This record gives sequence, C-alpha cells and structure tokens, in this order.
Amino acid sequence: MGGRHMVRGTEERVFQIVVAAVLSLCGLAALFPLLYVLSVSLTPFSEVLRNGGFILIPRSITFDAYRKLLTESNVPQAFGVTAFITVVGTLLNLAVTSLMAYPLSRKQLPGRNLFLMLIVFTLLFSGGIIPTYLVVKSLGLLDSVWSMILPNMVWSFNVLIMKSFYETLPEELFESARMDGAKEFRILARIVLPLSVPVTLTIGLFYAVGHWNEFFQAIMYVTDRELFPLQVIVREILIQTQQPLENAENMTPTETLQMASVILASLPIIVVYPFLQKHFTKGMLLGSVKG
Amino acid sequence: MLLPGALYFIVFRYFPMYGVVIAFKDYSFNDGILGSYWADPWNKHFLTFIHSPYFGQLLTNTLLISVYKLLFGMLPPILMALLLNECRIRWFKSLVQTLTYMPHFLSWVIIYGIVLALLSQNSGLVNHWIEEAGGQSIPFLTSTTYFRSLLVSSEIWQNLGWGAIIYLAAMAGIDPTLYEAARVDGASRLRMIWHITLPGIRSVIVMLLILRLGHMLDAGFEQIYIMYNIQVYPVADILDTWVFRTGLQQLNFSLASAVGLFKAAIGLVLVLVSNRIAKRWGEGIW
Amino acid sequence: MIRTPRMFRLMAVMLLASGLTTACGSNEGDSSDAPASGSGPSPSAPSDSASPSADSGKVVKLDIIETGNNLPPPDKDFIKRELDKALHTDISLTVYASGDDYKNQLNVRMASGNFPDLFMVPDRSTLKQYVQQGLLLDLSPYKDQLKAAVDFVGEDSLKKTSFDGKVYAIPKAPNIPYNTYWIRKDWLDKLGLQPPQTIDELLSTAVAFTEQDPDGNGKKDTIGLTGSKLSAFAPVFGAFGVGNPGDFYLSGGKLMNSLYEPGMKDALAFINKMIASGSVDPELMANTGLQHQEKAIKGQAGIVWIDWPNLSKDQFTEQIEKVNPNAEWIQLAPPKGPGGQNDGSFDIGGSPGIYAIPKALEKNEEKLRKVFDLLNYVSTKDGSNLVQFGVQGRHFNLEGDKVVPTDLMAQEAGFTWLYQFTGRPEKSYLQVKFEKQASFIDFADKQPRIQTLNGFLMTPDGYNAADANRYIEEETVKFAYGKRPLSEYDAFLSTLETSMNYKSFLDSAFQQLKELGYGN
Repeated sequence: MGGRHMVRGTEERVFQIVVAAVLSLCGLAALFPLLYVLSVSLTPFSEVLRNGGFILIPRSITFDAYRKLLTESNVPQAFGVTAFITVVGTLLNLAVTSLMAYPLSRKQLPGRNLFLMLIVFTLLFSGGIIPTYLVVKSLGLLDSVWSMILPNMVWSFNVLIMKSFYETLPEELFESARMDGAKEFRILARIVLPLSVPVTLTIGLFYAVGHWNEFFQAIMYVTDRELFPLQVIVREILIQTQQPLENAENMTPTETLQMASVILASLPIIVVYPFLQKHFTKGMLLGSVKG
Repeated sequence: MLLPGALYFIVFRYFPMYGVVIAFKDYSFNDGILGSYWADPWNKHFLTFIHSPYFGQLLTNTLLISVYKLLFGMLPPILMALLLNECRIRWFKSLVQTLTYMPHFLSWVIIYGIVLALLSQNSGLVNHWIEEAGGQSIPFLTSTTYFRSLLVSSEIWQNLGWGAIIYLAAMAGIDPTLYEAARVDGASRLRMIWHITLPGIRSVIVMLLILRLGHMLDAGFEQIYIMYNIQVYPVADILDTWVFRTGLQQLNFSLASAVGLFKAAIGLVLVLVSNRIAKRWGEGIW
Repeated sequence: MIRTPRMFRLMAVMLLASGLTTACGSNEGDSSDAPASGSGPSPSAPSDSASPSADSGKVVKLDIIETGNNLPPPDKDFIKRELDKALHTDISLTVYASGDDYKNQLNVRMASGNFPDLFMVPDRSTLKQYVQQGLLLDLSPYKDQLKAAVDFVGEDSLKKTSFDGKVYAIPKAPNIPYNTYWIRKDWLDKLGLQPPQTIDELLSTAVAFTEQDPDGNGKKDTIGLTGSKLSAFAPVFGAFGVGNPGDFYLSGGKLMNSLYEPGMKDALAFINKMIASGSVDPELMANTGLQHQEKAIKGQAGIVWIDWPNLSKDQFTEQIEKVNPNAEWIQLAPPKGPGGQNDGSFDIGGSPGIYAIPKALEKNEEKLRKVFDLLNYVSTKDGSNLVQFGVQGRHFNLEGDKVVPTDLMAQEAGFTWLYQFTGRPEKSYLQVKFEKQASFIDFADKQPRIQTLNGFLMTPDGYNAADANRYIEEETVKFAYGKRPLSEYDAFLSTLETSMNYKSFLDSAFQQLKELGYGN
C-alpha cells in the first residue's frame, strides 16, 4: 500500500501500465454488452429493429419503457418487497452465519469436523421441493415475506467461507482476550467482527444479491401478488418471449421493455457495490483494534 | 452460539432430507413420500437413466463441460483479483471492478440475446465483420465445434468480476506488514504476489476448489437449456437437461431425485477425497 | 471498525424506507379507485344465468391457479369484480408466467393437500397421473349440474379428458389454426415474381429472395425462408401428404404415423434440396421464442412460417412499418406438391387448456357448487361475454346479438382470457377482438390441414418420449441437412423402434386411438 516513495520507479510504472491495460480490456469486455442492454432499453423498439437489432449508442432516446414499468405494473410495489427481504434477510443471514462460523473456526470446538461435514453434506444433498414446501407450510409461512427469508437463512457455502476467514485470525488474540475474562460473544463482537469487515461485507453482499435475485421461493410459497418481489415481475416479462404464443391478445413485451426491466431490477443492487469496495482494500492492521 | 444456525439446519435442511427416499419409491400424492410404495426393483429410477441410450453421452458432456469450466474458469477471477489488488489508480480500479461485476446480474436469457447480437450467423456483429473481411460466416450457435467454447467463455465472462470478489476480500485480510517487510528487502511486485498474496489467499482457493468439485456434475443447467438447440445436443445435452425434458412427459420427482442423488454421491466422494489431499498441505474444509 | 455503525445506520434507514414503501403500496391497494363499477348495466344476477343456485348471499372464496400473464392487481381486475358480484364469490386467481414454475407449484400443492379449488392441468400426461392417483373429482355424476359448461365446450370434447368412460376435467372449447406461410409481397413485386403455388416455386422464390437482393441495398444479406425449427417446413411435409415427423393421423381411413409414410422420405429429400440451396435461415434450428418473427420484421427474411397474431397485430404492423414503410406481408396458401396441399397439420386432440377440480372438494358442497356456478357462468351468454370482451357498456355494446367493441376493449380487456375457463367460440371471438385482422384469421382457419391425433395419446410406461423425440428430431434434421444420407432412413427407423422403444409406443398409440374410435 502507498508505495509512492518507492525508488524503483520505472519497473513500477511498467507494471502499472500492464495492469491497467489488462484491466481496461476486461472492463471493455464487460462494458460493451452492458451498454447494449442500456441502449436498447432507451431506444424505441422499432428503431432497434431498423438497426438490425444491434445498438450501442442510442440515437433517439425514450423513457417510455421505464415509465410503463414504473406506472403500469407492480414494479414499485415489488421493489418494496425486494428491498425488505434484502435488508432484513441479509442482516439476519449475517447474524446467524457469523454466530455459526466463529465457533466452527475454533479448532478446539468438540465435534467440529462432524459439524463441518454435516454442513458440506447439505451443499450436495437436499430433500427436494416437496418436503421443504411441507415444512414451510407447517410453520405457517406460506404467503408471507418470511417464506422468502427463513428457508434460506444460512447458506452452507457462506458459513464455510466465513469460517475459513476467521481461521486466519491469530490464536493469540483470542487467548489474551480470554485471559482478560472476555466471554465468547464478546470476543466475536469486539475482536472477530471488527477484524473481518471485508469478509463480512463480502458475505453480506453474497446474501444481499441472493435475496435481490430471489424468485424461486416467491413462486413456490407466495400466491399473493402484492408480495411478489421484483424478479418475479421481471421473469414474467422475460419469459413471455421464450414461450410459444399463449394467447392471441397477449401483448408481447418488446426488447426495449425487457432490457428496461433488467436495468431497473439490477441497478439498485449494482450501485451498492462501489460503496462496499473501499472496505475491501483496507488492510486491517492488527494494532488498530488493540486500542 | 451454534444454536440458531443448528436449528435452521435441522428444520430446513435435515428434516426434509427424508425426501431423498422418493428416489427409491414410486411417488404417490395421496400416500406422501414416506407412505408411497417402494419402487420395484429398488433402483428402478436409477435404471431409467442408466439405460437411456444417451446415458454415456450425457455423462461425458456433463463431465467435459464441467471440467472445462473448472479448468478455464477457476483462474480468471483469481487473476482479475490480483490485477485489481495491484492497481494503484483508485477510481479506475473501482470502475473496472464495478463493470466486471455487472454481468452477474444479467440472466442467461439476456446473455443469450447478447450472444445472438454478436455471433448470429446472419445478423451477428462478429460474422458481419468476418464477411466484410471476405471470410465465411461461422455457425457459432449451431455447430458442435464451437458450442462448448461458447458455453465456457460466456460463463467466464459472466463470472469474472463476481468471482474475484471473494479473493479480493481474502487479499484485504493479508497482514500489510508482510508487504512492508518484503519491500524493505527489495522484492519486486511479482515476487510479492507470488510469495505473499497468493499464499495469503491459498486457503480460499483450495476451499472453493473443493466445493466446486462437489458440484462436478452440475454443468450449468440454465445456461445450457437456454442456449442449446437440436444440432448441438451431441455436445451439449447434460444430465440436468435430460431430466428436465424427460420430466416434461411425466411426473419426475423420483427420477429427478435419483439423478440428484447420483450427482450428489459422486460429488461427495470428490469432496472427501480432495479434502483429504488438501489436508496433507495443511488446508481443507475440516 | 468506525465504519460499521454507519453501515448499520444506513441499513436501518433502508429498512424503514422499505417498510414504508410496502405500507404505502398496500394502502393504495385498499383504496381501490373502481373506475368501471358504476358504468354500464351490471351483469345480471346469477339466477338468469344457467346456474341453478340463486342462493344465499354468503361469499365463498375460490382459489384458482393457471399459467398466464399480465393479470392486473385485484383492485384493477374488473373481471374478478364482476364475477364476484354475479356469483357471490371472492375469486383469487394466481397466474404463472412459466409453465415449469406452474408445474412445480401445482405439484407441491397437490402433495401437501393445499388444493386449489379449480386449476389448469398442464397436459394430458399430468392429467393421467393425477387421475391414476385419485386426485381429481370425477365429473361424470355432475354432468347435469355442469350442463351449460358441457354444452359450451361440446360433449365430444370431453373425450380429451376422459379415462375409462369417466370425465375428469373440462377442456376449453377447441382452437382454430393460426399458422401459415407469410411472404413479402413487395419483394415478390420487386423481383417480378408471383406468389409461389407449388413447392418448386417455393424453392425458387426462396432462392431468388436470397440471391437477387430483394431489399435493394446492394448486399446479399437476405434469406428466403425462416421459421422455428423443422416446423418451418410444415407445408412442405403437407405437400407430400405427411404430417410433421412423428405425427399420428388418419390417412384414407387408416391410422398412420408420418414416419412410416413413403412421402416422409420424399419430403425430407425436398427439404434437403431447399437447405442445400442456401435459401433457408442457417440458424433455423436455433430459433426459439420469437427470433424468427424478429428476423421477418427486421427485413432479413422473405418467407416465414408463423401465426397471424405475431405478424399482423397492430403492435407488429407498426414495427414492420417503422422498419420499412414499403414492407408488405401477405399470407400464402400452402404450396402444392406430389402429395397434395396441406398447410401442415393441426392437432384435433389438443386443447388450449384443461381445467380440473380436486377430489377433496367433494366434501365441501358449497364450494363445489360455486365452482360449478363459475364454470357455467363463463359458458353462458352474460358471463361468456364478460370473460371474452369485458364489461358491457364499457368495453363493448350489444347491437342485437352483435358485439361491438369500444375503444376501451383493446386498452383494458387484454387479460380477460385468463378467466375463460371453458374457452371461447374461437372464431367469432377473434373476429371481434381483432377486427382488422379478420381476413387473416379467416384465411388461416380455412387452409386445408392434416388433422393429427397426437393430443389424444398418452405415453405407455417404460417408454421415454424425451429420448425418442430427441432421436427423431436429431435424425430428421440430419437427413434434412444432408448430414446423413436418406439411404439410411430404414436403419433410422429400426434404431428408433428398438433402442428408443418406439415400437411399444406405436402399438400403444394405435390401440389407444382405436379405442377412441379412430381407424378400424
């Protein structure tokens, strides 16, 4: 970090140029298709067709598709639902996941390997949709927002990741804390979590994106349209062009509308990311927590 | 501390686990999973797919596509993370990081639309260029030659930035004093990457690799289902797409469950073996 | 560490905000604006519909699920409102855009005993499974109570949903065919050609469209024929007197499978000739969804096999015109060939939808009666008009017996089909809803077609239709693309019969059809 004062300037400069060049290529590779999605969402569809279907820079801009989505559909309502399950769900996820990951990261936990194996096992094996539906039903969760949060409260994958990050924390920290008489909860809250901001945010992001993209549980457990999250609506729009004509009077959504729905449905979660990024790069100085 | 999580796993993961027995039963709605009759013979549903004339092809395709995705897909996000980690221009780093993260939010339907716009034989941009340059247009989508490459590369593209996130988080956890010390010793950038950064994220790499091996027989149903067509079936049809098509004809709980069990059992073996190997180097999940 | 509290505060704010959003949303929902409720005569009381129960005013909740899309929220759903008013019900309809999602949902509900009161059965195989497992109510004893609905769909249609002489579901009233070849009239004119009348002319026209720059842009960037998969050649198969590969039908009073007709080989040989000429969309087999339609609208292809809505509805004619004001699409009668003239095939065993009632409802007489009332109501004049056209006085007016649409019909009543549980009188319905397209509807309906019977068939145990269908499609495509010589056609059939178990399916299929009175 901050190696400005370094003497070997040329080598550093060459290195930086190479890095920047490769990154630019990657960025461009990602940018072009996205630009296409954005441009199509802003261009009247007949214009898109006239251009043979490919547009990178829109020549005539229309916000019709967005207006239509925001006023004539359930999108605003669904946005609320999605925001709720994302925020509440992620907070719950993080709480439970770190509570699990911390003890599992301690080698002295009795039966640790068994627990870990049991967790890995659920990554591979599952009971299938019927028994899971029966559980959700018997808990009285059908047709409630919680049916989109609780059944996926902990992802095995995320527990394992978090646990492996916690493992890298030096054991001495915990020993000295215990010596000072700190309880395990206190150690988790005061030592482990502050030292693990990058991974907590990363796992939080994984969960949040998972919730944001949630549609399967909604479709399975929710029949009340008022509770449908955003992705169910987007899926409804996207899927219509994939299926054979169901009914003559059905209005097929144009590609402009499809792309607009994609943009609307992913932009909010995308803009969260840049805000998280700076926390990833902060190298955690062990000394900083001691004070 | 483990209690809330354990409760979750018991209620939502382990309790429904009895459902796997339908792989060995003839499912009846009225009798429920436990009450349904045992299939006769017990492995009837397993035989259904093992006896399919396409079984060999399905398994080969599944494994090949999965292995390709693992071989070619594992490294790019790591490299991406390394590059981002080395990049000193803040805004640029943030920009690239965000840009490459975005494709993750495009569903395969949309990505296929983009692929068509680029690679379609009559209207795709790439074929347009090829023809302008006097070449022959290339049937990217309908030729068995290109299809798997298309699957692998589009997945790498989609996953590049997203996959890098976890490594970036791991890099953020590396003790900066190590770099300071190396710098004092006059180590070059590349040496620091090799001796500090990579070892620092080794355990994450190993763990992801082990978990990935557990899903060896998942070659990416949604992607393939959306992108394939009859002309590329011989190289693209996988276990999951087959189960899906077969299931369209009949209620498929038992068959789907049998195939799922088959996949998971192989995955379990791979996880156990690879974890044991990893342990020799002091890594591994448990 | 200093950062974390701020993060939490931020999240708390977001949480609050989201809570507020949802709250506002539902408030809006409650204060329904009810624009249409006052206007127009309300649909008559249930007594003068065919329903026998002009009983108490107790509101019964009905839970209905099906596939579909674009259902408005309940407060804007005027069909629900009118039906509820007429029948004293509280109908809760849930629609699923994806057929797979729907199947999952239906299955878990069946498995958990959380039965809907009325639901769409995705296909005949599912129907069979549900029947075998005793999940569906046998409707035969209730035929009298369902008289209006049965009359509406036609007693004969019940064949499609009967097992061992018992009726387990109501199929929607039958469809009419929509598909034809469409061709660019302006391209024909430009090249001085007449609409092709034979398959040879079809081929030469397609070649001309590819080679002779019909759009006059100086580039060889057009294709002759497009469509979705092998079905793009349906009229070509028809011209050889055969159905699409694998179709069952009566040919000269005898039950036939198209693969076993001599005409099939000739048809494949001709298709091979078309493909070899380079005038067919090279990505024909990869065209899914509406990709072929898009190619047509973009002006890339001059002939397309497609249904009339997707090329002649206002939404699309507008697009066509914007892309090229001179573009003019016309329908093409099926080209003649050695086996006659058939615009592909049309499945008379198919139904646009099948609706069943769970057996569990047997015990809940009140609900059952309401479901019957609903089915009858949407099958008799007032109710049928409602679910076809919308609210009388707002979306349409009656002049004698003639339905005259208002402007609002096109704007607001696009979703009413979701409530057509027994279907609709297809042709007259379409002629009203699509006045401008009336001639296209009529044209498509009138073309001669091979009447196939596939819809009546169920697959026997031990036969994996997915494998066999893949093999049939894969190999016919190889024949068509010249990747496998037609001299191997018999080898193909014998592999199909043995490895793919097609023989057992053939035997079972002929047996089933004979039992239904087809062939002898």
